[in-house]
Amino acid sequence: MTRTLATFTAGFVTGAAALWSAPTLLGAAVAGPEIDFITTRATSGYSEGMGSTADRLRFAQPRSPEEPQAQTQTQAQAPAQPQPAPTGGDPVVDASALRYFARQGDTRRLQAEIERLKALYPDWVPPADPLAVPTNSDPRLDAMWKLYAEGKYAEIRKAIADAQAADAAFQPPQDLVDRVAVGEARQRLTNASDLKQYGTVVQIGADTPSLLTCGDVDVLWRLAEAFAQTDRPDRARDAYIYILKNCDDPGERLATVEKALPLLSRDRIDELMAQERTGPDGKGEFAAARADLVRRNVAAGGKEPPETVAADDVAAMSAIAEREGLASDALLLGWYHLRARDAASAETWFRRALDKEPGAEPAQGLALALLELKRPADAEAILSKWLSGASEEVRQVYLASVANTLALVPPPTLTPEVLARMVAAVAAARDAAAAQQFGWYAHALGQEQTAVQWFAAALAWKPDEEPAAYGLALVSHLLGDKDRVADLQRQWAGRSERIDRLTQRPDRRGDAAPRATVQTAEARIDRTETSSSGAPASARSAAQAAAPRGCRRTEEYARLSGSAALNRGWCLLDLNRPIEAARAFEQAIRDGGGKVRSDAAWGQSLAYLRAGLTDEASVAASKAPQSRERSVELEASILSTRASNFFDQKRYGETLLALDQRARIAPERLELMVLRGYAYVELRRLGEARRVFETLAAAGNKEGRRGLGVIDAVTGNGN
Amino acid sequence: MKTVRAICVALILALGPMTAHAAPQVSPENWAAYKQHFLEASGRIVDNANGGISHSEGQGYGLLLAYLAGDAAAFQLIWSFTRTELLIRDDGLAAWKWDPATSPHVGDINNATDGDILIAYALGQAGAAWGDPQLTAAATRIVKAIGRNGLWDHQGRTLIAPATTGFAAGEQADGPVVNLSYWIFEAFPLFAQLDPSVDWNKVGGDGLAVLAAAKFGPHKLPPDWLSLARRPRPATGFTAEFGYNAVRIPLYLARAGIVRPDLTRSYIKDGRFAITDIATGAAKDTLDDPGYRIIPAISACLTDGSPVPDELRRFAPVLYFPSTLHLLALAHLAAHDGDCR
Repeated sequence: MTRTLATFTAGFVTGAAALWSAPTLLGAAVAGPEIDFITTRATSGYSEGMGSTADRLRFAQPRSPEEPQAQTQTQAQAPAQPQPAPTGGDPVVDASALRYFARQGDTRRLQAEIERLKALYPDWVPPADPLAVPTNSDPRLDAMWKLYAEGKYAEIRKAIADAQAADAAFQPPQDLVDRVAVGEARQRLTNASDLKQYGTVVQIGADTPSLLTCGDVDVLWRLAEAFAQTDRPDRARDAYIYILKNCDDPGERLATVEKALPLLSRDRIDELMAQERTGPDGKGEFAAARADLVRRNVAAGGKEPPETVAADDVAAMSAIAEREGLASDALLLGWYHLRARDAASAETWFRRALDKEPGAEPAQGLALALLELKRPADAEAILSKWLSGASEEVRQVYLASVANTLALVPPPTLTPEVLARMVAAVAAARDAAAAQQFGWYAHALGQEQTAVQWFAAALAWKPDEEPAAYGLALVSHLLGDKDRVADLQRQWAGRSERIDRLTQRPDRRGDAAPRATVQTAEARIDRTETSSSGAPASARSAAQAAAPRGCRRTEEYARLSGSAALNRGWCLLDLNRPIEAARAFEQAIRDGGGKVRSDAAWGQSLAYLRAGLTDEASVAASKAPQSRERSVELEASILSTRASNFFDQKRYGETLLALDQRARIAPERLELMVLRGYAYVELRRLGEARRVFETLAAAGNKEGRRGLGVIDAVTGNGN
Repeated sequence: MKTVRAICVALILALGPMTAHAAPQVSPENWAAYKQHFLEASGRIVDNANGGISHSEGQGYGLLLAYLAGDAAAFQLIWSFTRTELLIRDDGLAAWKWDPATSPHVGDINNATDGDILIAYALGQAGAAWGDPQLTAAATRIVKAIGRNGLWDHQGRTLIAPATTGFAAGEQADGPVVNLSYWIFEAFPLFAQLDPSVDWNKVGGDGLAVLAAAKFGPHKLPPDWLSLARRPRPATGFTAEFGYNAVRIPLYLARAGIVRPDLTRSYIKDGRFAITDIATGAAKDTLDDPGYRIIPAISACLTDGSPVPDELRRFAPVLYFPSTLHLLALAHLAAHDGDCR
């Protein structure tokens, strides 16, 4: 028969009532095969006495339920606390606890105590009417059992010592003394576990085998965690399996598996799962845990670097997602399929997630899948709805969608509305790659003036962007702007052969229009799982690890293969030469295939980030129609940049003009107020300067106080 | 078991005055007043000047005073709390602080070595005097843990680390940093018996040598926290003052029977201690509680035989720290039939 543990489990203060209702985890005297529970001393810092005790203890193989219950408890006690072991014969049953609970009318604990005594003394016959048992004759014992029921073990120790001081003959029941020790051990174990003192946890578990029973599964969980956290996964597994073999509470059994999930490896989890029992409805009791396990495994496949996911898990995950219809599960599958290079399935799951719970994350995933499927315009359309307040990641995917849309061959027809939102996003992000694609797009449509503006903007945002310079030179050449072409050739002398050759061999123009330089969106994004806990270095470190060292020598990397160029890019980036690195990556993008191309695009985005952006205003953006909101944002941004540039050029009157224009359309930000203040100072309009800085200072801005100091210094000099 | 008994007998003989039949060094009335003020029913000693927290030092003092009062019941109470709530570190030392307002109550797993020393010392004495091998075994475990994790070998000296983390060379800019009031000299002979593998005699001797060198500023005072990175000097990471830690040094010396007026004479001005800025010699606070004042009185008695005034022999607890020192000082007098030596 199986033990009816549920009744014991419910809330008994120490769990001690259930101690004998199941074989103890660390019992030493049980018949049957023994396996080592603690074979070696803990790796760090146990005190000697404790360690040696642990070494001697062994872990009993739990018996099958059919075997008769044997009384094992007292013999399993730690050697430090020897006690008389009932060895058959005619045991004296200590019924003082029984009497106490009876007198309190505490039927739940009373029943538990009867079960305990029956397990302890098989020949003992419980009273017919437990509530009618005589009360304890000794009120001191009653008081002690009351303290025990309240978990006040320290006070019981005091009460015993007080009783002995008053009456040298007083002897507390050994049972009570033992239970107090076990109760204290439980509290100490819990405290140590809370403070991650896992060595202490294991030690107390070894010293107090009577704690380790189904009556107090929390202790077993804590012990298992302590083993897992101290690199003893097999011991942790043993403890969890002990619970699953011996304990019956369904909630606790499921919780056992779920607690083990983050702590144990897959194969050990499978051993736990093998202990699953099937309910009357035919369902396995660990269905929920299995779903979590499958989720965990599939999620690992959506991470970077992706882990291999068993086909069974993917199928199970799909079934769960179909059955339960959770957006989060669909999202999980979307990321998994994206990483597994199955963009079509990814699209399906991301669309489901988006339908279920619209949000930026499924939209971002869907856009990435569409980019992978070479449908950038669809990606752009989806993500354009999620740009307001979007994360940097989402913006990057959107910009990639824009660039890839513009790079389509033949050039797609874009409505004014779509163009407007693309322009606004590119201008706001100062994204040189997308701006350059706008240049080629305009060029392809024969709008050369617009192309000039875009190439110039790209070059302003990234002065070392050779393809943009080439585009600018090419279109300027077509427009007959010889001065600009000559300027560019001078600036890029020795750095770009094709710009240099532009005027010498006009017949070659156009053949190198870098339509192929668009970075794949995936490479620009570091996707990790379903949240943004990403490690941006992960993608590159793998590639880096394979990179041969030594790239200090300047080489003609046009001769390198795609993968060699990729390695060279990483190497240069390591040497903090980002512009050269970007060019190496560029070549890898052009010449490499598949993974190389993707890694190279990722590397190039890192390289550009490392190089930083320069300040220039975009004039091109103002030529495309935009929504009022976007155009205000863009205009304000251009005006602040312009004001800042004027100030740098010591053109203070024009600085103020730009700021005034901006102030008419948008509230003035604090750093622009500072700029305004100093422009006034430079123009010696000190009264106005003082008002600005006073306002700033009143707002608690320290630039305000600094500005006032400058004014004071200026007027001091004037006096 | 035989060995344990032999050691117990030896200790009982060595510690003669505190056998079960001797009069307690802390009187029943004083101890009752102390318990009423500072001992909670749960077994924790409450530092009522520090937000009602408890710490390993307070538990150690509580155990020591319960032993000196011959109160086995209170001892068991305090010990149960101490073991269950604080003695949870993997290395066998006690977590230093317990706060009733936080969960878990121990927020910082670091130890305080003077707390560990006090706990082990009280356990060792009680185990011997009361013939309780479990207490002696617990004491031995802690003493060994201190020997392993609480001592530094530094430039030929054996020093007491204030804690296992936070004070060593590399953890403080001018580490190692020590606290001279963590040398509880009276405990070391007992420790030497419980763990002969550590030269506790040397720990005491080196403490005295460092103490002799720790005299700074116009009043030649030791700081609470002392850097031993090079020549001894006040540690830079702490307030450089002769403070509430250092005032215990003369008491510990007296209780250990170490009569060295040369070491502590400079600490006392007009019969009192003052919390003093080391560099300027300016007094920040004069310590008027009789629990503080009795310490210079005992020093004076040891130096020139002047009797400890009766008013300082009356115990009226207010604050945990001076009241604790007061009972330890009174216990010292009681152990010498009312005299200081």
